[in-house]
Amino acid sequence: MSAHNRGTELDLSWISKIQVNHPAVLRRAEQIQARRTVKKEWQAAWLLKAVTFIDLTTLSGDDTSSNIQRLCCKAKYPIREDLLKALNMHDKGITTAAVCVYPARVCDAVKALKAAGCNIPVASVATGFPAGQTHLKTRLEEIRLAVEDGATEIDVVINRSLVLTGQWGGSDFIKTSTGKETVNATFPVAIVMLRAIRDFFWKTGNKIGFKPAGGIRSAKDSLAWLSLVKEELGDEWLKPELFRIGASTLLSDIERQIYHHVTGRYAAYHDLPMS
Amino acid sequence: MRTGVIGLILPPTFSFLEMMWRICPALAVGCTVVALVPPASPTPLLLAQLSGELGPFPGILNVISGPVSLVPVLASQPGIQKVAFCGALEEGRALRRSLAGECAELGLALGTESLLLLTDTADIDSAVEGVVDAAWSDRGPGGLRLLIQESVWDEAMRRLQERMGRLRSGRGLDGAVDMGARGAAACDLVQRFVREAQSQGAQVFQAGDVPSERPFYPPTLVSNLPPASPCAQVEVPWPVVVASPFRTAKEALLVANGTPRGGSASVWSERLGQALELGYGLQVGTVWINAHGLRDPSVPTGGCKESGCSWHGGPDGLYEYLRPSGTPARLSCLSKNLNYDTFGLAVPSTLPAGPEIGPSPAPPYGLFVGGRFQAPGAQSSRPIQDSSGNLHGYMAEGGAKDIRGAVEAAHQAFPGWAGQSPGARASLLWALAAALERRKSTLASRLERQGVELKAAEAEVELSARRLRAWGARAQAQGHTLQVAGLRGPVLRLREPLGVLAVVCPDEWPLLAFVSLLAPALAYGNTVVMVPSAACPLLALEVCQDMATLFPAGLANVVTGDQDHLTRCLALHQDVQAMWYFGSAQGSQFVEWASAGNLKPVWASRGCLRAWDQEAEGAGPELGLRAARTKALWLPMGD
Repeated sequence: MSAHNRGTELDLSWISKIQVNHPAVLRRAEQIQARRTVKKEWQAAWLLKAVTFIDLTTLSGDDTSSNIQRLCCKAKYPIREDLLKALNMHDKGITTAAVCVYPARVCDAVKALKAAGCNIPVASVATGFPAGQTHLKTRLEEIRLAVEDGATEIDVVINRSLVLTGQWGGSDFIKTSTGKETVNATFPVAIVMLRAIRDFFWKTGNKIGFKPAGGIRSAKDSLAWLSLVKEELGDEWLKPELFRIGASTLLSDIERQIYHHVTGRYAAYHDLPMS
Repeated sequence: MRTGVIGLILPPTFSFLEMMWRICPALAVGCTVVALVPPASPTPLLLAQLSGELGPFPGILNVISGPVSLVPVLASQPGIQKVAFCGALEEGRALRRSLAGECAELGLALGTESLLLLTDTADIDSAVEGVVDAAWSDRGPGGLRLLIQESVWDEAMRRLQERMGRLRSGRGLDGAVDMGARGAAACDLVQRFVREAQSQGAQVFQAGDVPSERPFYPPTLVSNLPPASPCAQVEVPWPVVVASPFRTAKEALLVANGTPRGGSASVWSERLGQALELGYGLQVGTVWINAHGLRDPSVPTGGCKESGCSWHGGPDGLYEYLRPSGTPARLSCLSKNLNYDTFGLAVPSTLPAGPEIGPSPAPPYGLFVGGRFQAPGAQSSRPIQDSSGNLHGYMAEGGAKDIRGAVEAAHQAFPGWAGQSPGARASLLWALAAALERRKSTLASRLERQGVELKAAEAEVELSARRLRAWGARAQAQGHTLQVAGLRGPVLRLREPLGVLAVVCPDEWPLLAFVSLLAPALAYGNTVVMVPSAACPLLALEVCQDMATLFPAGLANVVTGDQDHLTRCLALHQDVQAMWYFGSAQGSQFVEWASAGNLKPVWASRGCLRAWDQEAEGAGPELGLRAARTKALWLPMGD
């Protein structure tokens, strides 16, 4: 993680002066997807880079220690060894950025990662995920317990009622949504968020990270996200300390793309290890 | 009905789509096209291949890929009915001069510069994207003048410079570039411009990932350019953006309208009222609100002032290739030995041949300028004879000074008149109609003296009053919304007044033609300077007596005198926005030639007579179309 956001005095005029023109932002969002297409070995390189940004996530009701263990193994070896060897990237230590699980499964995740000999952080969703409508006392206790269990990053669900009444806080990262909403990470929303991050950096010098989550399933999409961050914020933000992608099936699509790049054939699902 | 054979001259910088946007409407209404494109790009070859595929209809689209020197050759071919020229300003001007009097009509679409107005209530990041679309991409036709409100100057410049750093330039087939190159000529032009700007003290900022080989040029941002420098007068080349500050919205309009170019502009403001005020106030052909460069074939695209007045797209684009049914094809009135320098320069002497006999007449005398009758600058007059050769009255000898005064008075009256609601304009025209009817006996008796039968004279007066009322009623009809396929939100096709309209009336129908030309001009919000019929201007001066009491000062100005001399003064005047000429063939040729000065749209009769009493010719829709200009106002919506 980058240095924590030291925070600033709350100045509501910063918020009231903001103007966002929706149709113009929609137009920019359409352009992004069309204009920065990457091909061939550069595409493979970008995809590998995208893998290092993934917060490999599993947030289902039937998570148990066995699928968490499988997930952590996948996080340590996201792409099949022989494919990486063919690209000469097998010794670069490519892993996902983090593993993201429910608070109750943090223990299992930490154990599995330790057994695999991997030091990537465990992130936990907390504070009444996904709706956030629980008592403040239990929400704080959740965070405390998750950290005790070994989680080093927490995805906090903000209290929307505070937002709607204008009572603001601060953070080190901003995330598009929980990922469990009907509409999650879309480009127009991301453009506005990235511009806000840039404005905050220009005003205070603090770099805030960005995490889109939910609905990012194809490798092509992930490339568009990378180029969006590169265009709006620049290369300094293309680091796992400042950019994460919350995804679960994205990794298998990236792996299939890499398989195609290396072998020239399209893989079946059973060709590649499950996550 | 359709015009006939169209000669289309296109610049090499046009994309295939732009060329098709000009060719397809012409073919759709039934014209055939000969396109001339310089061979700097393979696009004309694609066009030629396409026209070859039109097997069942060979010859409807013909493509010549040839150098610019062929332009006058094509334009003066005998079979061509209309020449549509798209390209640079000076070439358009030269073409206008060389085509004066030829049988081909000329439509000009000149210049590539656009304007972006950034207010302090705008979404600056999105406006920066608009700048990229306008100037630093392959979609924008040319350079951009950027006007930024002073309070957001620093923020906007910072974001622009940051954004420029992320632009990539390269060959077009590389999928990840923002812009390509436009050829060696364009590269030379922009290098000269930037060097000149730097020597004048401007700050030049360039950025972006651009190959250093010749035809590629980096995106350029120029600021602090002194307004008096020659760079500030000339069109901004691609890919340069010239940024200047403004303080208030009023100042923005003055600065924006203070150039001879009138192509397209965008206004960025989240305050609806302010955005519309600026949009309506800009003298351009297309205004986008919070967007830039949106195009659609159903929306008319064109310009005003020195951007030429020809349109493509939408209903106006179709009217370019049509003419009113029943009008004959234009004949050439070319007179090779018309001396443009001496036409109408000297006023022929009007000393009476002998002593005048008969009672001294008491008709109105003087020029009607600025709402009152005044003596002409030359302090002289000439006699007007009636049909039996007797003295009918005296007509003041107006000259260049009087024309200047009349045009000034018309300009002073214009803002007030254009700002009137259509209803107010209608009621003034109806009041004039009523006054004409009250004056029927005087007018009829004057017409009788000119040889018109009493019954016909009375009918003429009644028809004139009816025409005034009819045009007054038509003043109600304003712009309407267009259906645009890809856009959420309305696009308005506004009809705006041209400005000051100069009209030279025909000799025949001294009352009816005068009123038939005055009414549509006024109904659409223009102010006029009229030169009435040379044979009998007294009818027009009678009407002026009523206008003196009813109309605001300067709304309609009537200057009498030698027709050729006054025509010369009006045609060469740079501050007259349009001219209608119904005099001789030679005069028509001169008017067309002289209009190249400020590229005003002209409508010349070329010596053909017009049946003013017929509805179609005297009060048809053609008059309404020519009395106003179109503006397309795009309002993308969404919150």
